[in-house]
Amino acid sequence: MCHGAQRQGNPPQVPSLVGVGKRMTDDQITDMIHKGKAPMPPFPDIKDDELKALLKFLTGKEPAAAPAAPANPEAADDTEQAEPAGTPQPGRAIFQQNCSFCHGRDAMGGETGPDLTRSKLVTEDKTGDKILAVVREGRPGNKMPAFNFSSQQQQDLLAFIRARVAEVAAHPGGRRGVEVSDLQTGNADAGKAYFNGAGGCAKCHSPTGDLAGIANHYDGLALEERMLYPWNAKSAVTVTLPSGEKISGTLAYLDEFTVALRDSIGTYRSWPTSRVRYKVDAPVNAHVDQFPKYTDDDIHNLMAYIQTLR
Amino acid sequence: MNPLRPALFFVAALFLLTASAPSHAAQDLEDSQLLHPAPDSWPSYHGDYSGERHVHLTQISQQNVGSLALAWAFQTNQGAEIKSSPLLVDGVIYFTVPDNVWAVDARSGHMIWRYRRPSIGEHIGHRGVAMYKGWLFFTTPDDHLISLDAKNGKVRWDKIIADQSKGYWSTMAPLVVKNHVIAGVGGDLDNLPGLLRSFDPETGETQWQWFSTPPAGTPNAPTGGMTWMTGTYDPELNLVYWGTGNPTPVLNGKTRPGDDANTCSIVAIDPDNGKLAWGFVVSPHDTHDWDAVETPVLVDGEFHGQRRKMLMQTSRNGYFFVLDRTNGKDLLTVPYGPVDWALGIDKQGRPIPNPDKEPMPDGRLIAPAEGGLTNYRSPSFDPRTGLFIVDANPSWSLYFAKPADGAYGWAGADYDLWGKGVIEAIDYQTGRIRWSHEAGEGGDGAGVMTTDTGLTFTGDGYGNMMALDTATGKTLWHAGTGAPMQSSPISYMLDGRQYVLAGSGGVLFAWALPESPAAASRTHPAAH
Repeated sequence: MCHGAQRQGNPPQVPSLVGVGKRMTDDQITDMIHKGKAPMPPFPDIKDDELKALLKFLTGKEPAAAPAAPANPEAADDTEQAEPAGTPQPGRAIFQQNCSFCHGRDAMGGETGPDLTRSKLVTEDKTGDKILAVVREGRPGNKMPAFNFSSQQQQDLLAFIRARVAEVAAHPGGRRGVEVSDLQTGNADAGKAYFNGAGGCAKCHSPTGDLAGIANHYDGLALEERMLYPWNAKSAVTVTLPSGEKISGTLAYLDEFTVALRDSIGTYRSWPTSRVRYKVDAPVNAHVDQFPKYTDDDIHNLMAYIQTLR
Repeated sequence: MNPLRPALFFVAALFLLTASAPSHAAQDLEDSQLLHPAPDSWPSYHGDYSGERHVHLTQISQQNVGSLALAWAFQTNQGAEIKSSPLLVDGVIYFTVPDNVWAVDARSGHMIWRYRRPSIGEHIGHRGVAMYKGWLFFTTPDDHLISLDAKNGKVRWDKIIADQSKGYWSTMAPLVVKNHVIAGVGGDLDNLPGLLRSFDPETGETQWQWFSTPPAGTPNAPTGGMTWMTGTYDPELNLVYWGTGNPTPVLNGKTRPGDDANTCSIVAIDPDNGKLAWGFVVSPHDTHDWDAVETPVLVDGEFHGQRRKMLMQTSRNGYFFVLDRTNGKDLLTVPYGPVDWALGIDKQGRPIPNPDKEPMPDGRLIAPAEGGLTNYRSPSFDPRTGLFIVDANPSWSLYFAKPADGAYGWAGADYDLWGKGVIEAIDYQTGRIRWSHEAGEGGDGAGVMTTDTGLTFTGDGYGNMMALDTATGKTLWHAGTGAPMQSSPISYMLDGRQYVLAGSGGVLFAWALPESPAAASRTHPAAH
């Protein structure tokens, strides 16, 4: 479909594969097939006989040996798989089955799951403890489920994620994420006017106060996401007991049946909602109220302005 | 009155006669029982062919639901969340997570057998098994259809639905219609046509296939249209109704100009030969991953003074649709939450996508979020109030796509910003929301089931399972289950007690009213 039945390609976008056996070794061709290179998608499941036949077709010669197939995780305990050194195949299988739906087969993002190869948490985690904590505990609000993997499986998964990070760093052209440069389509003056005017931001925020230097702490997509909804903002609550006593604190939990806070010395206290009155002060809700009011230009302009706060 | 609703035929009497006798007929499931489910059964994913998930059981009422208590809990002792609707046939419960089927005694809550089949492929979730005669039908992450003996979980045959190595998987509970076991697929990480495949229930041989799109590589055409939820069936019209998923490439629509039929569509198909009767595109030229696979609920009733055979769907794209299911013509299209991506509704009743709200290199703010204004958890239609009750998710996402992202698979990136769960009761004749019941920020509510006594069973995003007053949404009962319910409840009579079942986390909970004192004294005779 892309390279043509005669391997002639469609240069310059789609390279010709005629004579590729002279330019690349079998391992290099296999690597390219398995990992892709934008705009060529990866084909990680072409292996064994199918891979041998493909290599033969491309190079016109018998390949020396095909790489081992990814291990079925149930079989991994019983069989020794001959694997090329450094290729985290068991981790790949675990990732495909459990993670790829949200994070993409190549860990570069999929159905709402972030691109792990450009996640700060992933790239800055030297020991792997932070990554594995997220795998084991998931993310709140059912954003990401918790996974119950064995220690070996966790190490295999970590190796796979790290390998992907390294591979993507070596081949930056294939990224499918959002670059800082993608988000520079707004006008900072218009953004400042929106911040102080229709956006209502100035009611709670100040460029010299709470937002001073904000663009030093976050950039690109992370900054824009927090600008639109700062997910870790805290709310306050005042609970009035039947006696009339009022207790205030940081809202720790609220559903239809239970309200809880941490008081001024950090003690957790909760009550059935049927027995108390309570009032929540959630300034972050102003961000939710703003969602239906934004135009996309407003957002890009705001981003341009926020990025000047260094 | 809806002619599809079950009636107490001699079938129910037959059940009572055979239930205690260990005969070959025990635990079998015949066509008549699928067409008119007896009160002591839940024989298919939706409970019956209409998809209304409404039970004509009256033991649990608004007056006594406050006393609903735990009858038993079955712990699966594994990490995958239960997303399946259990089946209850002849006193045995069958439910699933990916790679696993359990048979559980509905009286003791203990396991009878477990089938495990480790596999490669997508393990995102599993909706349950189908049953026919004494056989279960189970789809797998590597896109096989396995037929198991319901007595012991032994494999009878193992057939392929679609090629896993191309990127297909399956998570759905098949639909059994007469002598057809109809299975669908998932797979929108690759450019693949969606399909339905009908299998012979005895031999597993393929009877027919239906494809949502032209083959991959067809110029200017989409792939996709995955069929990853269970359809519904009208036996009088002899049509199965199915929702199809989004087109591929997902976020980049440039290689597939036009409406992209039959992706993001509701289709009506002849179950005997797989021929398309009609298709209605719910999200023309979708670029937001808004699968239209949500239950196509079949309702017979009045619409603006005229009797109609209707089909209703609260679709992922944020719109509530009412169609005439004889011909696919639109009767009503109204948003049921915040939407910002359409310019209006066209003459056929379809939303007109705003080209400026397609994913862009610098991003677009889109409502609803990519997970949709609702997702796979089932809605319910209550015939008495005319309310269509759904687990809604008002939400916003940022969507990005640029040329470097290509035209394969996801072809872009999207990120959730915020959402909350709300149980909404929609007046089906107007689309107006009669009541809303908040279900928590940052999460979803659960699937919905309604009963003849005006009860709505559902859950919130904090793990509370709840019974609401169907007319007002007021909470009448709740219990904390420890995990947000990702499944849809079921209910049945057994031994004179009405049970409500829902899976939550890795545990299947069974709720019932406490036994009467007379019954309890027989169970717990005075100690000697």
